[in-house]
Amino acid sequence: MTWNVPFMYETFLNTWKAVPTTLKLTFIPFLISVPFAFLLAMAQIKKVRFWSRFAQGYVSFVRGIPVVVLVLLFYNTLPGQLAAIFKFFGSSFNVYRQVPGITYAYFIFSLTAIAALTEIFRAALSAVDKGQLEAAYAIGLNAPQAYVRIIFPQAIAVAWPNLCNLLIMLVKNTSLAFMMTVKDITQTAKLGAALNYCYAEAYTVILIIYVIICLILEQIFRRTERYLNRHLVK
Amino acid sequence: MLTIRDVRKSFQENEVLKGVSIEVEKGDVVVILGPSGSGKTTLLRSINFLERADSGTLDWEDIHLDLKHASRKDVALIRKKTAFVFQNYNLFKNKTALENVMEGLTVARKVPKKEAEKIAKEALDKVGLSERYDYYPSQLSGGQQQRVGIARAVAVNPDIILFDEPTSALDPELVGEVLNVIKTLAKEGTTMIVVTHEIKFAQEVANKVVFMDGGFVVEEGSANEIFNHPKEERTQQFLRRILPDYDYAI
Repeated sequence: MTWNVPFMYETFLNTWKAVPTTLKLTFIPFLISVPFAFLLAMAQIKKVRFWSRFAQGYVSFVRGIPVVVLVLLFYNTLPGQLAAIFKFFGSSFNVYRQVPGITYAYFIFSLTAIAALTEIFRAALSAVDKGQLEAAYAIGLNAPQAYVRIIFPQAIAVAWPNLCNLLIMLVKNTSLAFMMTVKDITQTAKLGAALNYCYAEAYTVILIIYVIICLILEQIFRRTERYLNRHLVK
Repeated sequence: MLTIRDVRKSFQENEVLKGVSIEVEKGDVVVILGPSGSGKTTLLRSINFLERADSGTLDWEDIHLDLKHASRKDVALIRKKTAFVFQNYNLFKNKTALENVMEGLTVARKVPKKEAEKIAKEALDKVGLSERYDYYPSQLSGGQQQRVGIARAVAVNPDIILFDEPTSALDPELVGEVLNVIKTLAKEGTTMIVVTHEIKFAQEVANKVVFMDGGFVVEEGSANEIFNHPKEERTQQFLRRILPDYDYAI
């Protein structure tokens, strides 16, 4: 087997253009999940009635489902459900035409991100020594001041390596977006591969692109981690 | 000045405080002694609401509170009038020594930053840490950390400082530097309640000693009364075990 190098070069240029889509598929669900995960984690830390158990149940349930299954389930059922709802309210909104596949991708990836991030936040918050909160109260801070100024800065430093891990996981999960007709890097490569019968070349190219994205993320996190942990003895 | 009456507190089935009352006058150095599990720390923590008592009252000049039902506002008020020094220091790990001391001033008491910095530096100078303003807690020894803890308490100029076994977590050779700082404060007339196991220190600084056991105050009185003429059998027993042996005639 010979490698079609010019094709690889061309594929690289084409798929590189789809990188923003992959990044959007990573960061938009991540950002959507931050407030939800934060509230669910706080509910667990503060043992808020109902919500703390809800959070626990949500995490246990969602993280047990393969992302592919979520994609298959929701991408095939959700548009129909939505269409029925719009029809019920007498709206002429055409769900199938006007809601692009990427919207479902954002939704599904957010569901998994919330579950993972809730656990990360909860672990980080409970890693901060209880005495920190007591000391904050003892010098006269109220609860919001104590959390914002003392607890969260310490918790985020603990969470940082896990956040990096989660983002890398989300980057890799985005490769499932092709199932929802989203033109991300995987979809672009698949099309090129099928047209030219150059599967090995196309997939090797995106393999490299995924690794590059993850390496860059890793570097960003490693450098910021040093800053966040500046209060710990080197 | 401060009177706490009939404080009760249980943790699940375990009743830790079974109706404890103490009184503190301005300038008092009250030392609370007693074996482990006697409720000393819980009593101290009930005063500034780190622990919510099951019943009891608190009277402080014109403030009269039910310890169980005190509102958030009342709790905040008491916390601003007191300061607490923890057994394991509990310095804010994400803040430098100076920031630790300033926090209670700038954030809780709205002191302007410039002024707070001046007060905080004075407090740190007082505990002998003028060279350590910008060190994080993880860069300080246990004794230094506890001295920052004391500076943090002193800086807010509280009516009473509550010390919860301030030297129990320290290496023996670091105990002295912390006790010296507390002694200095005592001599200056700072009102304080100190839970400690350091008997010699208690003998030196206390003008009032409270001996607790099993959730009760067994005996209280002046340092001289308690150390030299304890009335209760339980107090005598405790002191015999804990006082240094140099009483023996050779």
